[in-house]
Amino acid sequence: MESRYDRAITVFSPDGHLFQVEYAQEAVKKGSTAVGIRGTDIVVLGVEKKSVAKLQDERTVRKICALDDHVCMAFAGLTADARVVINRARVECQSYKLTVEDPVTVEYITRFIATLKQKYTQSNGRRPFGISALIVGFDDDGIPRLYQTDPSGTYHAWKANAIGRSAKTVREFLEKNYTEDAIANDNEAIKLAIRALLEIVQSGGKNIELAIIRRNQPLKMFSAKEIESQVTAIEKEKEETEKKKSKKTA
Amino acid sequence: MPSWDGGRGGRRRGEEGDSRGQGGPAAAGAEEFCLVSRVREVRLLRRQTKTSLEVSLLEKYPCSKFIIAIGNNAVAFLSSFVTSSGVWEEVGCAKLWNEWCRTTDTAHLSPTEAFCVFYHLKSNPSVLLCQCSCYVAEDQQYQWLEKVFGSCPRKNLQITVLTCRHVTDYKTSESTSSLHPPFLKALKTQNFKEPPCCSLLEQPNIVHDLPAAVLSYCQVWKIPAILYLCYTDVMKLDLITVEAFKPVLSSRSLKGLVKNIPQSTEVLKKLVTTNEIQSNIYT
Repeated sequence: MESRYDRAITVFSPDGHLFQVEYAQEAVKKGSTAVGIRGTDIVVLGVEKKSVAKLQDERTVRKICALDDHVCMAFAGLTADARVVINRARVECQSYKLTVEDPVTVEYITRFIATLKQKYTQSNGRRPFGISALIVGFDDDGIPRLYQTDPSGTYHAWKANAIGRSAKTVREFLEKNYTEDAIANDNEAIKLAIRALLEIVQSGGKNIELAIIRRNQPLKMFSAKEIESQVTAIEKEKEETEKKKSKKTA
Repeated sequence: MPSWDGGRGGRRRGEEGDSRGQGGPAAAGAEEFCLVSRVREVRLLRRQTKTSLEVSLLEKYPCSKFIIAIGNNAVAFLSSFVTSSGVWEEVGCAKLWNEWCRTTDTAHLSPTEAFCVFYHLKSNPSVLLCQCSCYVAEDQQYQWLEKVFGSCPRKNLQITVLTCRHVTDYKTSESTSSLHPPFLKALKTQNFKEPPCCSLLEQPNIVHDLPAAVLSYCQVWKIPAILYLCYTDVMKLDLITVEAFKPVLSSRSLKGLVKNIPQSTEVLKKLVTTNEIQSNIYT
């Protein structure tokens, strides 16, 4: 039954599915995990680094990209599709700035990306973009924002979310651990992002990449050393809480 | 090496003056024929010692159950469900070269590249397993059979072959939209009396390549053998295609060999994802 509605994506199946869009969401699950967290004065994007081949230049395999000075995004899914979407978004950011003389709001550029994705679910002969994106940034009013888009062209604002391979596990972790205390200050928000990724990343800190934006400051990518020090701090905290627990039970 | 008489008074190899390009076509043909035979030879070796097995594999390691997986999806199925749930010892490997081979260096094979590897179960050496992930060309199939089965195979032997084929090879009068690949079909020899784990391949039931060679051999020697053929639309390593082989786990040959199915499914997922990491399509 399904195979008849796969061919042209402009066709609905009898029970209302757009199968190509759903298959595009499967393509997103093949990309490595990305997590986004909205703190009070900071937004954090963490990604599981994709294993790079020996001879490959690591700097060209990036999941976190700046769209403008105050907005950046992480994606999961088809690399080539992401490149196309990011280029269009970057051009739109500058075009908007030149026309209106204000930088884009995070919501505006998210809506632009989502509209672009939706167009490709309704055109003849074109397939949807196989990526989901987490878009973070600060608006002029100083409020931090986190949005998520998916291949169908929908977008929503989130406090914290994850996309990609083990997104479900990470989302469950965030639902349990995203509390007011957890995002009380910037460092805590960063730690929460790293802890969320450590749930699913195989070999610890060296497979994590992190980027943050603080209010009125440009995007900052963490170096491997900084991530390692955060991971060590987290592991220490874990040990201490476990010691306390065992003391209590004893 | 058989001598070659081109019919025009062909010269013997090594005779002075018959360098290539000179001498008649017969002399050049003789040299090339010998070279080609050597290059396309199927060699059965004990990998650790790199020595050839003097007798056929089944003569050296007699068995009652022989399971052969041909193709990357069938090999992945056996790796995750069978070889991961027991202690299997490698008893030999078959090295061969043909135009389909990706690597030209047959001298140094890494474990991931080994073409045909044979294992037996340590706790029950009468169970033999073959993982064949290379293409065995038509002119090499007979050699392969000879080196593995020998010229006079034992009688109390049961063979199970697993392989994949593209769904476009499936001959049916129904419309292709009614097909839902991947699906499993079986083809068995006359002496195979057990009920198969899936429906039999309908006429015209044509199979190709090494699985066909094995089945023909078994039919001639009256060995009970069954081929489980998975028709799929994805020929590269694919999770759904490998899982289509699951009904075979209930067959008599494989029943005792699989211990922990959920764990095997995890092993399979890892195998498939490590394969995907090599590609740059998804980030």
